[in-house]
Amino acid sequence: MAVVQPSSPATPYRITGSFVLAARQFPRHRAAMVGLVLLVLICLAAALAPWIAPYDPVQIKLSAKLKPPSFEHLLGTDHFGRDVFSRLIYGGRTSLSVGVLVVVFAFVLGVPLGLASGYFGGRIDNLLMRLVDAFLTFPPLLLAVALVGLLGPDIQNVMLALGLVQAPVLARIVRGSTLAVREDVYVTAARALGAGPARIVLSHILRNVMSPIVVQLTIVFSAAVVAEASLSFLGFGTQPPQPSWGRDMSEARRFLGDAPWMFMAPTGIIMLCVLSINFLGDGLRDALDPRAWRTRRQLSKGEG
Amino acid sequence: MPLLSVRNLQTRFATDRGIVRAVNGVSFDLEEGEVLGLVGESGSGKSVTALSIMRLVPEPPGKVTADSLTLEGTDLLRLSEADAREIRGSRMAMIFQDPMRSLNPVLTIGRQLTEVLRRHQKLSGTAARRRAIELLETVGIPMAEKRLAAYPHQFSGGMRQRVMIAIALSCNPRLLIADEATTALDVTIQAQIIDLVKRLQRERGTSVIWISHDLGVVAGLCDRVNVMYAGNVVETAPIRELFHRPSHGYTLGLMGSTPRVDGSGTARLTPIEGMPPNLIDPIPLCPFLPRCRVSVPACQARPPERREFGVGHWASCLADLAK
Amino acid sequence: MWRYLGRRLIQVPLVLVVVSLMTFLITRATPGDPVQIMLGMQTSKEAAEAMRKEFNLDRSLPEQYALWIGKVVQGDLGRSIRLNDPVTSLLAERLPVSLQLAASAMAFALLVSIPLGVIAALRRNSWIDYLCTGYTVAGFAIPNFGLALILIYVFSIQLDWLPITGIGTAEQVSGGLWTYIKPFIIPAIALGTLQTAILTRLLRSSMIDVLSQDYMRTARAKGLLPATIIVVHALKNAMIPFVTMAAIQFGYMIGIQVTIEYIFAVPGMGSAVLNAVVNRDFPVIQGFTLVISAFFLFANIMADLFYALLDPRIRY
Repeated sequence: MAVVQPSSPATPYRITGSFVLAARQFPRHRAAMVGLVLLVLICLAAALAPWIAPYDPVQIKLSAKLKPPSFEHLLGTDHFGRDVFSRLIYGGRTSLSVGVLVVVFAFVLGVPLGLASGYFGGRIDNLLMRLVDAFLTFPPLLLAVALVGLLGPDIQNVMLALGLVQAPVLARIVRGSTLAVREDVYVTAARALGAGPARIVLSHILRNVMSPIVVQLTIVFSAAVVAEASLSFLGFGTQPPQPSWGRDMSEARRFLGDAPWMFMAPTGIIMLCVLSINFLGDGLRDALDPRAWRTRRQLSKGEG
Repeated sequence: MPLLSVRNLQTRFATDRGIVRAVNGVSFDLEEGEVLGLVGESGSGKSVTALSIMRLVPEPPGKVTADSLTLEGTDLLRLSEADAREIRGSRMAMIFQDPMRSLNPVLTIGRQLTEVLRRHQKLSGTAARRRAIELLETVGIPMAEKRLAAYPHQFSGGMRQRVMIAIALSCNPRLLIADEATTALDVTIQAQIIDLVKRLQRERGTSVIWISHDLGVVAGLCDRVNVMYAGNVVETAPIRELFHRPSHGYTLGLMGSTPRVDGSGTARLTPIEGMPPNLIDPIPLCPFLPRCRVSVPACQARPPERREFGVGHWASCLADLAK
Repeated sequence: MWRYLGRRLIQVPLVLVVVSLMTFLITRATPGDPVQIMLGMQTSKEAAEAMRKEFNLDRSLPEQYALWIGKVVQGDLGRSIRLNDPVTSLLAERLPVSLQLAASAMAFALLVSIPLGVIAALRRNSWIDYLCTGYTVAGFAIPNFGLALILIYVFSIQLDWLPITGIGTAEQVSGGLWTYIKPFIIPAIALGTLQTAILTRLLRSSMIDVLSQDYMRTARAKGLLPATIIVVHALKNAMIPFVTMAAIQFGYMIGIQVTIEYIFAVPGMGSAVLNAVVNRDFPVIQGFTLVISAFFLFANIMADLFYALLDPRIRY
């Protein structure tokens, strides 16, 4: 009888295999590649802000206020004469770092909860899922507003609140996928060989539920970027004079007619950002879903 | 004049890989009250032939042409889409393979039955309802009146096919096409449905085209059989004649792979060895040649012509199997 | 079916208890004292004590919660610390406004998504299909407050066609139908565009799925008119997931209005919660979140109900 060694679990080939295949699949998705490139560009611009931005984003220069776009100020200036383009680039630092940290937070909180709920089932599952249910009956934005409002408007609290809002959704998805693979043959085999729950969950189940997690994390990321902008727009996020896409749009409301570039620039960059993440997410979903490959392979065969 | 006359019917589909010739020059006549079998493997063009006659081939990507295609003298291919709609469901009707999926799941049986009557016979609501009940009783559905309000999922497969037959026959069509109508059903149910079609066909004198890959079913039901291969009718013969003297290598292959046909309706074809033919770039010879076990040297040299082997018995084969 | 509905309805109070506990704990665990915010720094200790006593804030947390939930069961949501009005009367002012805004946004979403989704599915790869794809992609990406600013800029400032404010004012209600509808248009579009994108995409894909079903071929074989085939045979099937999703999305509507209320000065639920949060007006926060959650749960049950009503195969 063939014995599977617990030290060399039977699963890895499955997951490395599928991720390698997915990596090969991904570049064929044109929209996803465009999304990836755009996102990298936005991230680079934010990271290299001090070198790229033509002006100091908080430097007030009243003599140059509300100037329309020109070669001097690519996207014009705001009511304090600050360069909109520079503020956009610096604002990206806040938005994107909030996005990244919310993703990390949601992962750290949501994935273990989902794994535990799905793997152990029973009373733990029941309790956790009822909590998740209750969380999900709150409209996410309002919950975030309430949390940030109560904790104090501050960027750390924004991250905490958005992470708390997103974690239950992720937990539910992880739970569902865990339930699906829990009874798979290799998990049963590992259990029969005496592997403990921690080992089974970490080395067997987690690897196999990674695909839906990765896809959901792209959704979390774009939701976090929009939510941060919304909170800042409402005055609960980034505080002036720090540049922030949402906050700047809020300021721009008073100058809609006089300086439309003030609201159009941040709106545009938020859209671009969300668009590229969504394209990336679509591409990842298709690349990680073997069923989607087959159809595309057939199609490309047909084209060729 | 035959009820249905088909001459050189060609149906092509534009695909990414090239033009697929699904039906490639089919010709036959169907007389009043005749039951014609259309047999062949899947992909042989049986269903597409039926859909072409019904004017149900989506264009594009499909394209249907024929030297002539007439039903009771009406040129079907010249009809506008609106005129074709008037004929579909009234003068010609069709039932499909999977009764589970051929009925709309969210509409009641009554609605699906009466809508044809109201559309084609302009019956009022109550008249259509009365007629629908009659029809359901005719096809052997008990408590018909109550069943009108039921939904398809509340019926068994056989019952659903009975409903499909009731719908198809509701406007007394001259032509009924049944496409693998019993394939998805249990053997006993199959026999019941075949008996039902046989009875209704005799009572009403409807002409039937019965498409099947099941020679046993065809043997028990049809007057004449067209054997189709690669979008062509390769052999046509009265039913007894065909079983008695199959004259095409493909027909022979079909029978060789079939247990003894005794009309019990259980015999099924198993695929003949080899690949199904390429419909995009057909070879200029007999399309069955690569799989044929009875080919003669002449087969390598020229395409087979249509030859007569008996009264109403024609085949496109160069091997003289009768000898 | 009814048993299932009953079971769902029984679960509602359970979820609401968890929700109320959570809001209660969040409000109490976070910094900020409503009395201090209300009375300011210079008030006497006695006055502050009296106010704490009045709102039971001097009691232990379990007592506070028990007192509050005991009243809630009787339909009393307490009194606002800041306004000193009953929360229920505040709710009676705010809820109708929010519902009207939600309904107008949903009306816009349905008005656009049904024709767009159906036509895109029927004419795949046509210009209208590409328009549909572009609209949904953009609709998913644009934040509603950004869209609101664009619409204000174009339709209020440049063209001067539509007002920016006016929802919930006396003039709006007393005027004619157009006076009533006018202020809703821009907020409804800004608020409803995401839902429109979600619903259009859903309807397009479910319609494409339905069109490839065998029963559609049967319908054509019956010689039915194209309008009958599309509306009765296809749409009735494709609408099942659509209506369900629309109900679920409607449940979200009240909660996502905050930014729109903020821009258009709408006296709705979202801005009330916003103010209550800033002022630590605990009874208002607790009462309003409870109602918003209940509305969401109700919408979800409606979605299940629609599903069962539209699809004869569903029997719970």
